[in-house]
Amino acid sequence: MNYMELLGALAPEAIVVLTALVALAVDLLVLRQAPQNARQVVAVSITAVGILAAIIALSVAAPSPPWMDGLLINHSTTAFLKQTLLVLALVAGILSIQSRFTQHTGEYVTLLLLSTVGMMLLVSSDNLLLMFVALELTSLPLYVLTAFNKESPSSSEASLKYFLIGSLSAACLLFGISLLYGLSGGITWTQLATTLRAGSEPIVYLALILTLIGFAFKVAAAPFHLWAPDVYQGAPTPVAAFIASGSKIASFYMFARIFMAALPGTAGSAAWSGATPGWVPLVAALAVVSMILGNVAAIAQRSVKRLLAYSAIGHAGYALLAILSNTEQGMGSLLYYVVTYAVTAMGAFAVVNVIERDVQAPNGESLTDFAGLSRRSPLLSLCLLVFVLSLAGIPPLAGFFGKFYIFIATAQSGTSQGLIWLVMLAIGTSAISLYYYLQILKQVYVVESVGQPTPVQLRPAESACIVAMACTVLILGCAPNWLINRFSPNSTEVRRAGVITKPSTTLELAAEIHPRITAPLGTATGLVQKRPQFETTTANAQ
Amino acid sequence: MTPLHYYLIFAALLFSVGLAGALMRRNAILVLIGIELMLNAANLNFIAFWRYSPTANELVGLMFVLFSIGIAAAEAAVGLAIIISIYRHHRSTQLQHVDRLKG
Repeated sequence: MNYMELLGALAPEAIVVLTALVALAVDLLVLRQAPQNARQVVAVSITAVGILAAIIALSVAAPSPPWMDGLLINHSTTAFLKQTLLVLALVAGILSIQSRFTQHTGEYVTLLLLSTVGMMLLVSSDNLLLMFVALELTSLPLYVLTAFNKESPSSSEASLKYFLIGSLSAACLLFGISLLYGLSGGITWTQLATTLRAGSEPIVYLALILTLIGFAFKVAAAPFHLWAPDVYQGAPTPVAAFIASGSKIASFYMFARIFMAALPGTAGSAAWSGATPGWVPLVAALAVVSMILGNVAAIAQRSVKRLLAYSAIGHAGYALLAILSNTEQGMGSLLYYVVTYAVTAMGAFAVVNVIERDVQAPNGESLTDFAGLSRRSPLLSLCLLVFVLSLAGIPPLAGFFGKFYIFIATAQSGTSQGLIWLVMLAIGTSAISLYYYLQILKQVYVVESVGQPTPVQLRPAESACIVAMACTVLILGCAPNWLINRFSPNSTEVRRAGVITKPSTTLELAAEIHPRITAPLGTATGLVQKRPQFETTTANAQ
Repeated sequence: MTPLHYYLIFAALLFSVGLAGALMRRNAILVLIGIELMLNAANLNFIAFWRYSPTANELVGLMFVLFSIGIAAAEAAVGLAIIISIYRHHRSTQLQHVDRLKG
């Protein structure tokens, strides 16, 4: 190993950090006296150039060499997830042009990019230390960004709640990690996977619970969701959109990786009859509480951002099903789900951002501000229709296939379909969620607006982003193969994992139900490291 | 040499004191102090496990503690900045006064 190779493996992250520093320097040194709008356009343009460069660097990057095992993992899936994160960060930057929540454009863009770097490292990390550092690098800028509207008491209140709950759970996570280190004697996934077994030491369960708390906070799973509604409502809307999308992708991927790859020996079972202790029943408990609480509490909300927060808690519950299925097709379906969810949530927040700027209410938007939107801006309403129906899981859209894949992966996992009760609960709560999603659409399409309907002011860049995201949701729904294929491993990955992919029964079932789903959903072998990898990598080392 | 479990029991106590403080205190600064105690308990665990591990020459536990001390400092800086911005709006750092957002 030498440092140039390390720099080569981390080139995309290095480019983003450089972009952040350049944006800060240009804003503070050159554009101090320039009008606010010009500063925002320049800062976002620099961001766009840097992000484009990083995306190109990711697309030509080679998979990580074997000496990097236990440090970093780079393969086609992580590259795709990082590219998605970068695009989401760029959209969040574009949404904040012309917004009036801050005068400190350079700092804003810098923090946004640094948080993105944290998420990119989180996706790549292959040991507990890098994971913890990356998690904090993701969170700390987000706490500050949440408080960025210094004139709004809600913004700093949301930030305080986010920070206190976040650092409390980070402390729990660190204590859990310290126990995992003590029990296994190492911090890499392979070291953990080869030493930790359920039932050997009771303290293993304490370590699992503490680690789980840390991740449940990051993905806003109930009962660790208390920050989410306040942060989504109080934070500046582009920031809330980024927290709801980018942070979700990175955290869910790491959540699944640490439990599936590093702690397979302590899984246990959540089957209705014959549950055994381990992390799977704990995740099942989180999923059940999240699905019920998120979807029921969303019904009572009057603010659309709060409603989206509770819906995000419900969606976290569905995604947790994919994690507790603890299979490779579970991992593939989880990634499809979080990526499509992130795009949809970003789009929904983008529409809310437009409405919020339009109404300029001191307490933020409310559901009634969307009344008669279809007469004021047909394009915006159509996009909102796509996003909301995708969140609800209506067939031709991406949200439907996300849920569909997850439900299949969960139902198939475990012995004799013991997890089917969770799938039935998830379908039931999906039906509840349709009620509050249709409440939004009722305001948009049925209720008359108060007074004369005036057209909504849309900026070209913003409307281009919103339309592009709506089209993405539609295309991913009509052709889910494209994205699912992305999450199948490349040949090197399979060889290195030492596992031969074999067709799964899920796939055949899926193909029967829906002829389009012939993608290798169940073959995402490279995503979940199985123990044989340890043997092959040690053989390489020798 | 003191047995390992003495350190672990002490760290667990420190963690519990920190957690109790973080959950029960009404003042944001005292909550922050509770969280710092929890982080230090984890650091103590790392050092103890590292010192007693058969592979102590790998310095893994020590490295982890160095990074986590740095992160804890950054977290305290961000936390105090947020508490200052709360104080500017509410003229108070008591958590029960910070209750605009609910539902």
